[in-house]
Amino acid sequence: MSDASEMPTGPHGEQGLRTRVIRTDYLARVEGEGAMYVKLDGRDVVEVKLRIYEPPRFFEALLRGRAFTEAPDITARICGICPVAYQMSAVRAMEDACDVVIDEGPLRDLRRLIYCGEWIESHSLHVYMLHAPDFLGYAGAVEMARDHGEIVEQGLQMKKAGNALMALVGGREVHPINVRVGGFYRAPTGAELRTLVDPLERARETALATVRWVAELDFPDVRRARELVALRDPGEDYPIDRGAIVSDAGLDIAPAQFDEHVVEEHVEHSNALHARIRERGTYLTGPLARYALSCAQLRPLAAEAARAAGLGPVCENPFQSIVVRSVELVQACDEALAIIERYEQPDAPAVQVTPRRAVGHGATEAPRGLLYHRYEIDDDGAILDARIVPPTSQNQLAIEEDLRAVVEDALDLPDEKLSLRCEQAIRNHDPCISCATHFLKLTVDRG
Amino acid sequence: MIGVGNALRHDDAAGLEVVRRVRELVDPERVAVIEHVGEQSALLDIWEGAAAVVLVDAIRSDASAGTIHRVDASERPLPAPPWGSSSTHAIGVAEAIELARALGRLPAQVIVYGVEGVRFDAGIGLSKEVGDAMGVLTDTVSHEVRSMAA
Repeated sequence: MSDASEMPTGPHGEQGLRTRVIRTDYLARVEGEGAMYVKLDGRDVVEVKLRIYEPPRFFEALLRGRAFTEAPDITARICGICPVAYQMSAVRAMEDACDVVIDEGPLRDLRRLIYCGEWIESHSLHVYMLHAPDFLGYAGAVEMARDHGEIVEQGLQMKKAGNALMALVGGREVHPINVRVGGFYRAPTGAELRTLVDPLERARETALATVRWVAELDFPDVRRARELVALRDPGEDYPIDRGAIVSDAGLDIAPAQFDEHVVEEHVEHSNALHARIRERGTYLTGPLARYALSCAQLRPLAAEAARAAGLGPVCENPFQSIVVRSVELVQACDEALAIIERYEQPDAPAVQVTPRRAVGHGATEAPRGLLYHRYEIDDDGAILDARIVPPTSQNQLAIEEDLRAVVEDALDLPDEKLSLRCEQAIRNHDPCISCATHFLKLTVDRG
Repeated sequence: MIGVGNALRHDDAAGLEVVRRVRELVDPERVAVIEHVGEQSALLDIWEGAAAVVLVDAIRSDASAGTIHRVDASERPLPAPPWGSSSTHAIGVAEAIELARALGRLPAQVIVYGVEGVRFDAGIGLSKEVGDAMGVLTDTVSHEVRSMAA
């Protein structure tokens, strides 16, 4: 059996006497370049790989020697779909190093607001354009739009509201330029923010309709119990911008303790590091984890939408992540509106941050899960060392376990259908392969 | 008139550069000239209400660097490759056009120009080949835009 990399692209399977291989060499509707490979011997699943072949981009090395103030803008370039997450984890880590805390008032509100914009952009793209076609049986959003134009229009309308929020608070829709260590370069006026009320109110209505719609989709009846890891906000908020890293298996650590509990290792088939909890192994971050650990912190409107959609306090079916993501769309629209309503332009758009020789840690909730940054900086603010652990490398093992389970549950499906089911299982976790391939440890085996 | 590209990826800036030049040559009352650097699903809103669209982008196919391609996308999809999204990241120009067509939001006339790029790595400045093609491309595009808007 030849290696997947030698094969032409496209979903296909190969049927031998005993050996059966299901693979897709170029995954569609995920961010970045990856492939999957599943090998069966009779009815035994002998090998499962989520291959990430997008080339590594060495961001951590690139950061060394740069000024601590540059980290948010440099790391934002890791990903076009979640740049705010990178900026927010970076500023939190740098402020942690410099002993500055921005945990209340309009500056924190603005940070959560722009983060809500990113959740709206990213989740609406995923729910409507990337994930929904799986459930409705289409190859992609374009094919789905021909029959279900109104659904795609809803997604575009919601994404537009997220784009508008991002452009106003961040300076532009993609790779915002207004975020800095200590706050923002410019704080918007209340009048400017109020221009977002109409589109956000419409987006919130659409999000509520989305929850109702996705709740009725046809889900495979599966449950996957594994450790769920997310931030827990120390106040009353749904986890986005701060908090301890907690899990349903008892993990409860400050971001500074991340390295003590999470190990990353290189595996041959992937250009992304695999993360695991040192004591226990595979874990999952992202909407399912946030919801399970903090659904009590959802705003009442989002909580009610979740309840009406039939979600219990924990959702263990990864195929239903589309429902949880839609609930988070309600949450993000509703919270954005609440922030705009109480907003008063701060006296200064940022607080002074003076560098000192120290190590800082920052963890925030990217749309697809926990994003951890660690920086060591010098007295003059030069970055001595950087470490970034994106959600997709944390989720890789869980995704591979899902693939294995999906195949074991659906062995009798013909190859093409099994392949599609596997791809759907990957898309359940909205992996961002571009984010996952910035790592530094490159092993070259020349025999 | 829409130029698409990334100003920080060498030849990917070609579409932006062309529309900057064409802006000086067309009637601003009749032609909206837009440099679009964001993601492509936004194109559906950008061309909302337009009678006709001319879009310019850098592409990469087997042609020699600086080659100018012209495709009428009014009736049929852009051939992919090379017009499809260059990665699996969301939506490319070809997908945005097809999404608009499926939703009934495609202007009646859509002409897409592509200039064959050679450098798409990080950095500023067009390659010599693409830079040399800018004059002809600007003349061709501005002529077509002016005749459409006449």
